[in-house]
Amino acid sequence: MDQFLQALINGVMLGAFYAAMMLGFSVIWGVMGVINLAHGEFIMLGAYTTWVLNKDFGWEPFYAIVLVFPLLFIVGYIVQRVLINRVVDQPILVSLLVTFGLSIMIANAVKLAYSADPRLTDTRFGGVWNVGNVTIPVTKTIILGLALVIMASLWAFLNGTRTGKAIRAAAQNKQAARIVGIDINKIYALTFGICIAITGVAGTMISPTLAVHPFMGAPLTLRAFAITALAGLGSIPGALMGGMLLGIVESMIGIYVDRIGTNLAIVAAFVLLVVVLVTRPQGLFGGLRPIEQAEQL
Amino acid sequence: MKVRRFHLLALLLVFVMVAASCGDTSSTTNAPSTDAPTTEAPTTEAPTTDAPTTDAPTTEAAGCVGTITLGAAVSETGRFAREGKDTRQGYNTWLDWVNDEYGGIKVGDDCYNVELIMYDDEGDADRTATLVEQLISEDQVDFLLGPYSSGLTMSASATAEQYGIIMVEGNGASETIFERGFQNIFAVLTPAGNYTQSALKSLADAGAETVVVAYEDTAFPTSVAEGAIRWAEEYGLEVLAVETYPLEVTDVSAIMTKFRDLEPDVFVGGGHFNDALLFVRAAKELDFNPKGMVITVGPSNPSFVEEVGSDANFILGPTQWEGTMSWSDDYFGTSGDFFDRYVEKWGEPPTYQAAESAATPLSLQLAIEAAGSLDMDLVRQAMYDLDVETFYGPINFDETGKNVAKPMGSIQIQDGVINVVAPSEAAVTDLQYPALPWDEK
Repeated sequence: MDQFLQALINGVMLGAFYAAMMLGFSVIWGVMGVINLAHGEFIMLGAYTTWVLNKDFGWEPFYAIVLVFPLLFIVGYIVQRVLINRVVDQPILVSLLVTFGLSIMIANAVKLAYSADPRLTDTRFGGVWNVGNVTIPVTKTIILGLALVIMASLWAFLNGTRTGKAIRAAAQNKQAARIVGIDINKIYALTFGICIAITGVAGTMISPTLAVHPFMGAPLTLRAFAITALAGLGSIPGALMGGMLLGIVESMIGIYVDRIGTNLAIVAAFVLLVVVLVTRPQGLFGGLRPIEQAEQL
Repeated sequence: MKVRRFHLLALLLVFVMVAASCGDTSSTTNAPSTDAPTTEAPTTEAPTTDAPTTDAPTTEAAGCVGTITLGAAVSETGRFAREGKDTRQGYNTWLDWVNDEYGGIKVGDDCYNVELIMYDDEGDADRTATLVEQLISEDQVDFLLGPYSSGLTMSASATAEQYGIIMVEGNGASETIFERGFQNIFAVLTPAGNYTQSALKSLADAGAETVVVAYEDTAFPTSVAEGAIRWAEEYGLEVLAVETYPLEVTDVSAIMTKFRDLEPDVFVGGGHFNDALLFVRAAKELDFNPKGMVITVGPSNPSFVEEVGSDANFILGPTQWEGTMSWSDDYFGTSGDFFDRYVEKWGEPPTYQAAESAATPLSLQLAIEAAGSLDMDLVRQAMYDLDVETFYGPINFDETGKNVAKPMGSIQIQDGVINVVAPSEAAVTDLQYPALPWDEK
């Protein structure tokens, strides 16, 4: 029982991180139809910014969010305005290539600047709480909390504000949004900026627990891709449930299968993805999709 | 202060580069797809491979009758650029010593100067094979030295075997290199299977009884882990569980949860430096407190302590060589003497890759001198018969060409300092066992 509870807690913590990590990827895909292959590299940029603030200025990693968020927002806004905007309406292959190139460039630029040595940040929130025989890590609890806050804020923003509604309108029907006077380019840049900012914050959140190095991005992008397809494009409840589902499944298999558990967990995640795509191609929770596409499904 | 400014500047640079790449694209209005590939960071320019870096003897030692030519393909660019540099510097440390100080290799009553031809293999296995072929057929080298890394050594040694030319290497530890029945490959370094031997022995001697093993399921970590299980059983440690994980793993909490519930005395794990950081953080997060932690890759690298801080204390790791070890020979003196010589020559402390690269040609030299001839078969026999202690440790090749005499050293991080704790012949301090729990470190 204790082991089951521990597996569940590990899974929830992992799932929360997955959810926060893939949110930006999912919303960008949902709103603009752009699959951002440089997603993991933006997580890495957030993590490196945090590491610099932590090692050289003694900042608590979690406090670095106040700087990482605006910084990555600006980066995202600029990248969208001058790069992604030019390929949004082109065939999907074009945006794939552009973001792929961007990912290689960012990773290698960081490698030139900081070498390939893996880094970690130091947090003073490093202890554990022991409840019975179950251990709750403080760092990961903070990550869980932050992930929930980020998701709730984004949900409130998309549903409660005028700009948020404009973003959803742009996702559902670009032409109609234009007709009612929404500046699509501005909305796209804003969306990209916010998503990249959230992605950077995810990097900040994991910097104390995961080795930060220039090539950490690719496996994270792949994971974000899988969860997005599992959960549905741009759906925030979907992101949370999809992330949790994957986190818990991985954790359970990891603990209950001997010897190859951690390997098998990753297989299981993708088996799950294939099953969902075959039986429910729109993902478990639907989400932001252009109207014409939704009608086809 | 300087470091801080550098890091800040570097970060700024990265952001500027991201922005700049976007700027470039904005100037071309059509077909951005063609721009995408150009955003790849340029790889370092390939050097002109036609001009080998020859290090001809600068001073002809008196009475030397000829020149022995050695050849090697060693990375100067590519993914092993850093380690390749260590390897080259190690080879050159020996070369300058043997020509300028030692007075050439003694063969019977004659002496020979040494010339070393090195090409850049760019970290590519096919390129390595081509270059080794070129060294043999065009440059007509007498003997070969190895490249850096197990993968390239596999490739280089296959070509050497084909031509029947002896290749001595110091930078390919994977056991598979020696499982092909080759007659011409000799390696001075301890093979992967023995990486954890001395650490496990000292932990067993200190009272440890049980062990758990986690490893990345790729070639080198698998060799290390299979060796660890073998040695654990040899020293009477009970193996409670073995777990594998994939390359680029991002979460090991499941493994650590399972291990914690087994309450083992010793944890052995690792594959890459990243994993070392993951294991330390996951163990701490789950309050998993083994009395001894052996991590394959990471602990002997000073940046490990830098990143992990006081959590690194008590962690053990294997090392091929450290300047503080107490080995010695009549040629370079003690390990410490070699350390000083290297620092003076290159302006940086030797890594163990550099030390084993200096020991590599040294072992060949000793075999040639023992054979008293340059005949390939006689030298090969002398290599098999070689049984010496050097500044790098004892060298004695078995029939597959592995050095079976040199124990792998073990370091332990003690109060943030990397100290050699095993084997006892090379130790500078005692093992600290058992480790304190995480919150008291």
